[in-house]
Amino acid sequence: MAPPVHTQRSPSPSQPSGKGEVSDLKMQLRQLAGSRAPGTDDSKRELFKKVILSMTIGIDVSSLFSEMVMCSATSDIVLKKMCYLYVGNYAKGNPELALLTINFLQKDCRDQDPMIRGLALRCLCSLRLANLVEYLVGPLGSGLKDNNSYVRMVAAIGVLKLYHISAATCVDADFPSMLKTLMLNDPDAQVVANCLSALQEIWSLEAGTSEEASREREALLSKPVIYYLLNRIKEFSEWAQCLVLDLVAKYIPSDSNEIFDIMNLLEDRLQHANGAVVLATIKGFLHLTLSMTDVHQQVYERIKAPLLTLVSSGSQEQSYALLSHLHLLVMRAPMLFSLDYKHFYCQYNEPSYVKKLKLEMLTAVANESNTYEIVTELCEYAANVDVPIARESIRAVGKIALQQYDVNAIVDRLLQFLEMEKDYVTAETLVLVKDLLRKYPQWSHDCIAVVGNISSKNVQEPKAKAALIWMLGEYSQDMLDAPYILESLIDNWDDEHSAEVRLHLLTAILKCFFKRPPETQKALGAVLAAGLADSHQDVHDRALFYYRLLQYNVSVAERVVNPPKQAVSVFPDTQSSEIRDRIFDEFNSLSVIYQKPSYMFTDKEHRGSFEFSEDLGSLSVGVESADNISPAQRVEASDNDLLLSTSEEEESRGPSNNGSAYSAPIYDGSSISVVASQTQSEPTFQNRAFPAYALQSNLAIDDLLGLGPQVAPAPAPAPSPPPLNLNARPVLDPSTFQRKWRQVSASLSQEGVITSEGTAALMTPQVLLRHMQGHSIHCIASGGQPPNFKFFFYAQKAEEPVAFYLVECLINTSSAKAQIEIKAEDQSTIHAFSVVFQSALSTFGYQNLGESLV
Amino acid sequence: MPVSASAIYFLNLRGDVLINRLYRDDVGGNMVDAFRMHIMQTKELGTCPVRQIGGCSFFYMRISNVYVVIVVSGNANVACAFKFVVEAVNLFKSYFGGAFDEDAIRNNFVLIYELLDEIMDFGYPQNLSPEILKLYITQEGVRSPFSSKSADRPVPNATLQVTGAVGWRREGLVYKKNEVFLDIVESVNLLMSSKGVVLRCDVTGKVLMKCFLSGMPDLKLGLNDKIGLEKESELKSRPSKSGKTIELDDVTFHQCVNLTRFNSEKTVSFVPPDGEFELMKYRITEGVNLPFRVLPTIKELGRTRVEVNVKVKSVFGAKMFALGVVIKIPVPKQTAKTSFQVTAGRAKYNAAIDCLVWKIRKFPGQTEPTMSAEIELISTIAEKKSWTRPPIQMEFQVPMFTASGLRVRFLKVWEKSGYNTVEWVRYITKAGSYEIRC
Repeated sequence: MAPPVHTQRSPSPSQPSGKGEVSDLKMQLRQLAGSRAPGTDDSKRELFKKVILSMTIGIDVSSLFSEMVMCSATSDIVLKKMCYLYVGNYAKGNPELALLTINFLQKDCRDQDPMIRGLALRCLCSLRLANLVEYLVGPLGSGLKDNNSYVRMVAAIGVLKLYHISAATCVDADFPSMLKTLMLNDPDAQVVANCLSALQEIWSLEAGTSEEASREREALLSKPVIYYLLNRIKEFSEWAQCLVLDLVAKYIPSDSNEIFDIMNLLEDRLQHANGAVVLATIKGFLHLTLSMTDVHQQVYERIKAPLLTLVSSGSQEQSYALLSHLHLLVMRAPMLFSLDYKHFYCQYNEPSYVKKLKLEMLTAVANESNTYEIVTELCEYAANVDVPIARESIRAVGKIALQQYDVNAIVDRLLQFLEMEKDYVTAETLVLVKDLLRKYPQWSHDCIAVVGNISSKNVQEPKAKAALIWMLGEYSQDMLDAPYILESLIDNWDDEHSAEVRLHLLTAILKCFFKRPPETQKALGAVLAAGLADSHQDVHDRALFYYRLLQYNVSVAERVVNPPKQAVSVFPDTQSSEIRDRIFDEFNSLSVIYQKPSYMFTDKEHRGSFEFSEDLGSLSVGVESADNISPAQRVEASDNDLLLSTSEEEESRGPSNNGSAYSAPIYDGSSISVVASQTQSEPTFQNRAFPAYALQSNLAIDDLLGLGPQVAPAPAPAPSPPPLNLNARPVLDPSTFQRKWRQVSASLSQEGVITSEGTAALMTPQVLLRHMQGHSIHCIASGGQPPNFKFFFYAQKAEEPVAFYLVECLINTSSAKAQIEIKAEDQSTIHAFSVVFQSALSTFGYQNLGESLV
Repeated sequence: MPVSASAIYFLNLRGDVLINRLYRDDVGGNMVDAFRMHIMQTKELGTCPVRQIGGCSFFYMRISNVYVVIVVSGNANVACAFKFVVEAVNLFKSYFGGAFDEDAIRNNFVLIYELLDEIMDFGYPQNLSPEILKLYITQEGVRSPFSSKSADRPVPNATLQVTGAVGWRREGLVYKKNEVFLDIVESVNLLMSSKGVVLRCDVTGKVLMKCFLSGMPDLKLGLNDKIGLEKESELKSRPSKSGKTIELDDVTFHQCVNLTRFNSEKTVSFVPPDGEFELMKYRITEGVNLPFRVLPTIKELGRTRVEVNVKVKSVFGAKMFALGVVIKIPVPKQTAKTSFQVTAGRAKYNAAIDCLVWKIRKFPGQTEPTMSAEIELISTIAEKKSWTRPPIQMEFQVPMFTASGLRVRFLKVWEKSGYNTVEWVRYITKAGSYEIRC
């Protein structure tokens, strides 16, 4: 345990403040160590308290170790406890000294007083030192057989601690089977619970390697064990009940009678004051009845009241945890909660994370009978001071509108939002009106009348602006001044930062052009010119595409841009039903809070015991799963796709011109400037895109996938690829890496700088990792917090003799410096590899400043 | 918790670690820095009490000026973790004598270390019951309940108690005067629309008890709730006395209540813990008696003037009175000047919360004081932005009144020695979130 950093505000006079004090304490402890005078224990207590205090506020008192141990020969339990605490804290840093304590701890484990036996045993197991494992087995064995339940309780968890220090020792001493016997026979419920916790953990971890262990793990779910635990459930503490109930939820009963028996037995648990117990019971009920649809529904009805009570009592945090579960159930079966919608009304002072869940539930339970009330309530929130919640509630109204058939009233409400004249309300509403029109084109008349009155100057948000532009293009025949509004938008082309808006502007103007050619012609020329000169690849390409399409055949272009549209009937669900089922399986856990299955946030494969040194601390090993996009982002992404699917996909189906034949422009006047700009822009196009392909093919591919940063190629020409071939799929496990790192002496260290674009891209290290993988350099571990990142890479030479290259790379994003240490098994190629590595890293603007060979 | 906690931290508001306990090695010692950097020093604080950083999940709660943070590495049970923190804080409070804050932690390092070791082992919650822990961890120092030296504390089966077979009560308690105090505390939540329609209304109630009883008493509590009364009349085959019966939407009980007996006989019977505890919690949504009606009229006159008239009507019995009534009436941000008259209590303008705060210390039943106020606004350039009115909020306490109408019908104490007990019953209704839109 690392003692906390020095945190004291202003040490009071009684608190030791520094080195002098520590040596002072040392002296005093020495004096007392041998003393047997009466009252010694009291002065020792005071001294020990001072030591503990220093330890807590971050003063390193580990130098007192031997004195503390000397003083610990006492019968006073207060002193013993403090001594155990001290030893537990510093043993890890002083394994040799910790050996000194073994003697007295073992002696205490045989003390007359069961309290001392228990405490000593807990302390002994908490030392967590591999070199002391041999001393643990004896005391643990007798602890498990102790006649006092307190000692057995400690011993049961002690076995688990031993397992984590040395699994082999634990299994060899046959402790798991002793725990099992104890679990099934001990009269004390807490001992049983601790045995259960320990066994669950041990057997799950062992199951991967041993078949017997996985059989044992299954056996925990067998009928005799489950029934034994259920029959004793009332003896357990509330925490242990959670444990047992969680186990019961995994049990598969043989028939429906059994299910009803278990549910009858557990029904009163729903009235328990501890929300965690209630939730665990609910999980059991839901999972037991999954196969019985009717009963499953009745379970929903039964658990509704307790859940609602729990949500409305307790602290904000507790109620949030419970509300998340209620949210999950509401999303699964909205009809069952449609009468309870008033419970989901938000209170003014509730934190926004609670409000957000409530809004989603209100949206889900809306049906024909309660829509009016719910929408009225949501409209209240639109005027909320909390802007994100106001936005959410507008979106909620929109979602309800898209769910319902009777949207008459809702459309009016939405249009009223536009009259509130608040920027963010207008912005959200515009996006909604756009979606609404795509589903219910029949409302276009009412909407367009209002939308036409919105000044485009008041709309700044890209999504809203894009929506407005889409509507202007789509309904330009109904909006008198649509061409002029669009034209004024082109004037600000250069100030428009969002590529999405520029893309929409291009398309909208083209649509408008086909509906009202004379008024739009000038704008069309301007927009195509601006588009072709645009630095954004997509915008440029689309402008070019339109331009050539128009050249090829105007009527084809019209078919592409303005095809007859079908109303969108169903917007896709943002979360697949499979994922929702996975989350439901993991009811009563973090999955429900994060709204994603556990494999997405805890992948055991990528985390674990792999650590290089203390300072790496929070190292997360390997590449994190690519799925860690938040649901909100995913929604946005699919929204984008949708918008594109109506406007662009049809377009791209049109015949494409390969661009070889340049016929004379059909449009006079304005299009002359188009040609002019076209000829100007062509060379730049050449310059920008093609060399990039040739030089840095990997980077370009990364970019196509949208993974790579927007980095211009390094200013200096990238080093030419050296004649070193790397194995694309080398295999190396963390422990071998560590071993090799220590063994290999040949190393090359260098320092360099990274450009600011590079550091910006490194804020998400995955980008780097994936990029390096493209160069056959694989990451074995990465970690750190901004601004300091640390990466460990490895690569393998493809030709014989096969040799590994190991790299440690430290990057500080704030000072834009990088330190690289390369070790190679084959020293002759170390420079060649170094060049490969540098060239790979040069994508991030890395430049070598100097190196030294060791 | 199916997945155990790896560490628990107590931080002050600046993010300094006051005290911590690392139960497992699977999270690094610098995880707390991650918490500080990614949550405390960003806007994230207060956005969500559960956060994931670098493969670890953080659950945090703020209690007075302390953050309690639990770190887990796996897919843990959140409800359990939060409940654990709440219970642990209650335990500390009962040791520190009420307060749990930075100073209390700084003054009790040794005690907290001991408690943290007892209540959680290797990340699994153990015994958190103050009654039992106080047997062997005391403020004066640590005693062993098994110690044979002190003959004055004969606790024959302390072993069982320490490990929690009868977790909530120890044997051999003696009081000269046997007393039971029972409080029914209700908090009434209201959300009313500007048109006076009740949008949402419910009562969450608690039955709190304080027992000073000798031996192992058996208590029975009777309430005027519908199910209990029906069951009783059914059992005794006589019609229940006319009178109001209350329908409880949901009830939860302290672990001491015999739930099997509650489900079969519908009586609340229990062996109480010693001292203070929460016997039951309930929730009611039907037939709530609102103690106050608020009738606001707010008129915006032109761009710079707002006229506010608020009438508050107490609808409980004329002989009762409410205490500590506070009515917060929102006013626009750009308020320049306010003037008002009230027929009872005192009012002032609080610019920090943009409210007129009207306080009435003692508010008798069946009265209706009013406030009329005039507010002048600074005229701003952004005139067209209309004022979004937050709701009027109200705080109060009404002693001897229950918004649900719940009453205690009887409280019987039975102990084998047959002593007499004195029972005290109190009722109080408080405002939960009492909001009236205007």
